[in-house]
Amino acid sequence: MRTVIRDTTIADRLLFVVLIAASIAGIFVSREAMPRGSDVLVEVNGKTAYTFTLDKDRTFQVPGPRGETVVEIKDNKVRVKEAHCPNRLCEKQGWVERGVIVCLPNHIVISVGGKAGISTKGVDAITG
Amino acid sequence: MRLQDKYRIAVLSAYALALYGIESLLPTPIPWLRLGLANIITLVALILYGFRTAMTVTLIRVILASLFTGTFLGPSFILSMGGGVTSTAAMGLTYLVSKELFGPVGLSLIGAFFHNATQLTLAYFLFIQRIEAMLVVGPIIVLIGTLTGVANGAVSGLLIKNLLKKECRKIQNDNEDVRPAQ
Repeated sequence: MRTVIRDTTIADRLLFVVLIAASIAGIFVSREAMPRGSDVLVEVNGKTAYTFTLDKDRTFQVPGPRGETVVEIKDNKVRVKEAHCPNRLCEKQGWVERGVIVCLPNHIVISVGGKAGISTKGVDAITG
Repeated sequence: MRLQDKYRIAVLSAYALALYGIESLLPTPIPWLRLGLANIITLVALILYGFRTAMTVTLIRVILASLFTGTFLGPSFILSMGGGVTSTAAMGLTYLVSKELFGPVGLSLIGAFFHNATQLTLAYFLFIQRIEAMLVVGPIIVLIGTLTGVANGAVSGLLIKNLLKKECRKIQNDNEDVRPAQ
């Protein structure tokens, strides 16, 4: 073991340190950038009604059995701004970065996730 | 190409294929993860016998391994071919530019990095086309590749040292054999 370490050149050690540092930094940077979903998927009655990207601010209305629900996208977050349901749980949930907002009375499911599109994309590759 | 070179390439390719076979029997936590043991042979071939031998051994290894496992010309064949050729080329170029700058460990690291970079690029363009997935997976693969690269480089270094020692002893013996006859 000692001879192995002794036999490495300075460039070897430098390269090793740089690669390790760069990849660990890369892991953290990509973690930081990734887990926030990039798509907002609005489902009404189990069917996809809208898909929006999170990075564009907008406010839109989703029609449901109890009237229109106002959904707002801002600063990579989503919230239900206004809903006409008894408990208004969806409104109370506030800004959501990932996960789901469900409004049962209006049959609305709002899910946030970069993986929203994956299930519809089909097979990536078949090996063998 | 001399007969001796052909013989050498055949033996090295056989070693590389054997290591490839052993490696595919080892259980790994992630299906895509490989130790890259065959790279040990590529590295030994490069340092002891030169770039042409190393590249030929790599090509033979990739083509035969894919024929044995039934993935010839399939997606995984394209990935391993691309990775093998670029990593050998990168190691060869580095070794050509300077024989002193990097030892076996450094060359192995360069090979591992180029192998992974090529495979990620090929996988992106040919199969996955989701840049987020690549950005998440890329650094992890490079990190694992760096660790296995160091191990492979160290083994190659030891192997090269022992082979050279043996070669020296053989030459000495040959000389001693010759002397009494004169």
